[in-house]
Amino acid sequence: MNMQQSPVPSLAKQKRPARSKSDRGRLLQEASMLAPAVLLLTLFLIVPFFLSFWTAMTNQPLVPRPTPLRFIWFTNFVRIFHDDLFWTALWNVSRFTFWILPVQCGLAFATALLLHQKMPFRNLLRGMFFLPAITSMVVVCVIWGTLFQYPTGPFNQILGFVSGGYIQPIDWLGDPEWAMFSIVLLSAWQAYGFQMIVYLAGLQGIPDELYDAARIDGANAVQRFWHVTMPGLRPTHVFVLLITTIQAFKLYTQVAILTQGGPKSSTETVVHYMVRAGFEEQKMGYASAVSVILFVIVLIIALVQRQLLRRFDV
Amino acid sequence: MSDIALSVSQPNEKPVRSAARTFRTIQTVCIFIVALVIISPLFLLVVASLKDDRFQILADMGSFRAFWVSDPTLNNFKEVGHFSGELAFGRYLFNSLLILVTTVGAGVIVNSMAGFVLAWGTVKGRAAILSIVIALYVIPQESIIMPLVIMVSRAGMTDTFAVQIVPWIASPLYIFLFYQFFAQLPKELLEAAQIDGASIFRIYRSIFMPLSLPAVATVSILTGIETWNQYLWPILVTQTDYARPIAVAIATFFGQDSIYWDRAMAASALMMIPILGLYLAFQRWFVSSFVGSAVKG
Repeated sequence: MNMQQSPVPSLAKQKRPARSKSDRGRLLQEASMLAPAVLLLTLFLIVPFFLSFWTAMTNQPLVPRPTPLRFIWFTNFVRIFHDDLFWTALWNVSRFTFWILPVQCGLAFATALLLHQKMPFRNLLRGMFFLPAITSMVVVCVIWGTLFQYPTGPFNQILGFVSGGYIQPIDWLGDPEWAMFSIVLLSAWQAYGFQMIVYLAGLQGIPDELYDAARIDGANAVQRFWHVTMPGLRPTHVFVLLITTIQAFKLYTQVAILTQGGPKSSTETVVHYMVRAGFEEQKMGYASAVSVILFVIVLIIALVQRQLLRRFDV
Repeated sequence: MSDIALSVSQPNEKPVRSAARTFRTIQTVCIFIVALVIISPLFLLVVASLKDDRFQILADMGSFRAFWVSDPTLNNFKEVGHFSGELAFGRYLFNSLLILVTTVGAGVIVNSMAGFVLAWGTVKGRAAILSIVIALYVIPQESIIMPLVIMVSRAGMTDTFAVQIVPWIASPLYIFLFYQFFAQLPKELLEAAQIDGASIFRIYRSIFMPLSLPAVATVSILTGIETWNQYLWPILVTQTDYARPIAVAIATFFGQDSIYWDRAMAASALMMIPILGLYLAFQRWFVSSFVGSAVKG
């Protein structure tokens, strides 16, 4: 990218010879204003990105070893696809996505609908609903770690109380059946605020005239919701669902802190699998291959999003 | 009127109007209750951090005493707030703040300069650079982190502040946000200043930047939250106390056989304080900045 800067002054000179000197100075200034960003992006984003494809086809270790680095083509990918744990991780992330979409987006949509109405203290209420979104995931893990306590944590007490002792205490994070669902609950709580804000912006984007027209036509509140609000929010729904899906596939922090992928690999995720391969087993080539697969997944979701949004924008 | 679930009040009929008002009050109270339930875990954090006994914290969790502390004490904070030793959360907090301030400051400068040139510059290849920047946005941090670790460890940068700051200064999203903001400012600003003989850097610094407070706030807040909550990258590149951020330090509580919940709660509260303070001061900016980041599809 830096190469583009050198021929430019001479081209500009040919175009407008009268102002060539000040033009050259200006172009030099522009180039130096652009340079830090271009340099940093190249060094810390573009280079590692392309490097990951190359590393993925080598037996690169974490620390340099005396044995020579070998180029092993797609062996890492073949190994990954033959590893049951990788498929478990992919399956778990899919399960997580399947649960988090209705829970998190539903919560975000419901709260946005509540807050969109005219009422006193609206900004204060918005601020309260948005608080979890600025809470760091590590802090969320500390808090929810106590909420999930077995057998006498708050959730178990509430469940026991509501059901009159009928529901036995659940080992939220220790039971393979429940662990991923528990991660879903705390993740949704932490992140729904962002989607709520996006929905609020979407709701504000629906012109009031549409509601007035619907009212004149005799539509009641429910009909207005289904025939004005929902169609008006279609691009917002697509955006929110896909951004949540991408986030879900990158699930890592809460799992790494609370369950380390357990119990019985029930919360193993793609990123956690990658980090383990790279750092516990020191197989950087293998880990890079996983990261390439992750990129391809995210790219596909992003392309689907772009296609869908383009369709709705027209 | 843009309310959805409500039927509108009729201006001329007084009884209907007061009924609507009562309804609205009840509704607001209900929403308040929902809000309190949703943020109750945060109350729980504050209350628990003021309790001295870690077993008591767990015992109280099962009842309403989780939300009440009879003899509040700052002992936990004193215990974890050291600047050296095993519980040097004062130091970790300082580390995080240092990383936050430098990343946000450098990020605003670097990304805004690039965004400005992309919007108003005359350099050839701007369109190409802009489309590359937009394309780069798709690459998730997680998928470049492995080669990046190899790069920085070969360069001997592990366990430094620089390694946690420099790679995340330039960002495709923030360059794009600045570009978008600058591009919608009127062209006359630029032309008038050029006639006066101002250099392009001067125009950027003295005219466009002072007008860009909303964009600066958006980018600062988004960079700030992102930097503050970084977890994966710092655990890979920090091994000692020297540059360890508070998020990584808090996570180490979970590695122990029996978790010191009192200390973990106090450390978490410490981590909440700066971001909460900024949030209370700039709440409106926070909310609008999240909208800003979502506008692009």
